[in-house]
Amino acid sequence: MSAPRRIRASFRAGWRSFLRRRTAVFFTFFFPLIIVVIFGALVRTEPTGGLFAEPPGYYVPGYLAVVVLFTPLSRVGSEVARHREGNRFEKLATTPLSRGEWLLAQTLVNVVVIGLAGFLLLALVVALTGANLRLGVGSLALLVGYVVVGVALFCGFGAILGSLADSQDGVIAASNSIALPLLFLSETFVPPEMLPAWFRPAMGLSPLTYFSRGVRAATFDPVDAGAVAPAVSNLGIVVALAVAFLAVGALVLPRTD
Amino acid sequence: MTAVLVAEDVRRTYGETVALDGVSLSVAEGEVFALVGPNGAGKTTLVRALTGTTDAEGSVSVFGADPRDVDRERIGLLPQEFDPPERLTARELLEYYRGLYDGGRDVDAVLSDVGLADDADTWYENLSGGQRRRTCVGSALVNDPDLLFLDEPTTGIDPAGRRALWRLLEDFAAGGTTIVLTTHYMEEAHRLADRVGLLADGDLVAVDDPDALVAEYGGASRLVVDLASDPGQDEPAPLPEDFVLSQEFERRDGSLVVTGVDPVDISEVVDALDAAGVAYDALTWKEPDLEDVYLDLTGESVVGNRRVGGRTPRPVSGGDA
Repeated sequence: MSAPRRIRASFRAGWRSFLRRRTAVFFTFFFPLIIVVIFGALVRTEPTGGLFAEPPGYYVPGYLAVVVLFTPLSRVGSEVARHREGNRFEKLATTPLSRGEWLLAQTLVNVVVIGLAGFLLLALVVALTGANLRLGVGSLALLVGYVVVGVALFCGFGAILGSLADSQDGVIAASNSIALPLLFLSETFVPPEMLPAWFRPAMGLSPLTYFSRGVRAATFDPVDAGAVAPAVSNLGIVVALAVAFLAVGALVLPRTD
Repeated sequence: MTAVLVAEDVRRTYGETVALDGVSLSVAEGEVFALVGPNGAGKTTLVRALTGTTDAEGSVSVFGADPRDVDRERIGLLPQEFDPPERLTARELLEYYRGLYDGGRDVDAVLSDVGLADDADTWYENLSGGQRRRTCVGSALVNDPDLLFLDEPTTGIDPAGRRALWRLLEDFAAGGTTIVLTTHYMEEAHRLADRVGLLADGDLVAVDDPDALVAEYGGASRLVVDLASDPGQDEPAPLPEDFVLSQEFERRDGSLVVTGVDPVDISEVVDALDAAGVAYDALTWKEPDLEDVYLDLTGESVVGNRRVGGRTPRPVSGGDA
């Protein structure tokens, strides 16, 4: 029972620390709000052509990706940098808490935070854009699964960034440089048909592409015999990627000076 | 007694900078071992090598195991410049670190021990510097460790708080906890440590109990004469050319340091000062202490504005715990 106890203690500390950084809390929820308002309510979809030519429901994976991608990437990356600069990893290295347990606790904090932000975002998308989504029990369960696993994936990615960058500023710059292209080149806001044919295979390199495809299959694509399969198979890919990123993230977390 | 900590020929370099240059020592169960030395001497690097938080050459054994494989329930560490999550209260921080162990001490008792019972519910970032450091010390005590590493535990703590922490550490030592600490306070090292190791330029240049170090390296007792300055002058005037004493003396900053003088002969010095018209504010009898050892062995002694080299220390092999 030691590991659950350690993870619980680490989660509680991380959760309290996050809630008390009010600016971070505010913008965690405000950022997706302004994205939805800008793209969903101001730009709006335009069926006659242009960038937003698809129905509103098509862009739900993109809106969710805003929180699933950006928040854990920058939050965990910054947390790693803060821990390193405050010699907290040096302290933790002499406690029974393993690096994997630390990262799992941080991931759980992000799952709760981003789960709440994702729920808010989904409600806003439906309310402001009139998106027509399929939100049955099965779809919702898949959606929750995608958010949880997607957050875990990018927490692992954030841990890698935080471990490689040499400062908090470096983490923020790196996470923005990585997240922005991923957000628009992962079948989120820009349909593949709008990109050059030679570039399309590269989209398969983005973990977010599988998140996008899966969420879209679960909530938007027409129901037919083949609709569930992509939702489940892409979830499998995201799970595998999440495990890999978390494992590498835990491995590269600083243990020494 | 059983050695709980053994380090042999520990080396650590950062690029071309040699932080540790073949340090060997052992610390016995229940012993308090203090590391002293100038900034950059390698104290923190040595603590990191002993706790397995830096990659060092040589061998380190803690409770018979590699420091990274040791039972961590038995270890407590206060790193230097430790900065825990700042928006947790002192109580929440100690609960956090206590929650990482299976066993340990009651958090309220630890808060009381480190003098934070009244400020336990204040965010860490709103505590004073001394209170923060005491919280950090508490974080190293919550698991009731058998071996405690404290890297400058009392830095930033006021004298009363420092003494309270000394009493606490003495209680832990009396209870059988082995303590390895680094400090810049010689009084702290002398009071707490069974043995003191003096690090200079990555070398452990002397290891012994504090009194033995003072006897060997502290030099003679001396009379320090604080010379008076003329009104409007920053420094006392130079000594008259015809000023003589039968004892050895030298000018240090605004003082005259007389060595080789017996306490019963202090009046001779006073008479000589009066005869030469040398004004002074105070006379102080100074027994050698650990600070003299430090200054002597590290070459940090200062005469006036001139830095003078220290005595060549004898080489030190492994500790003799």
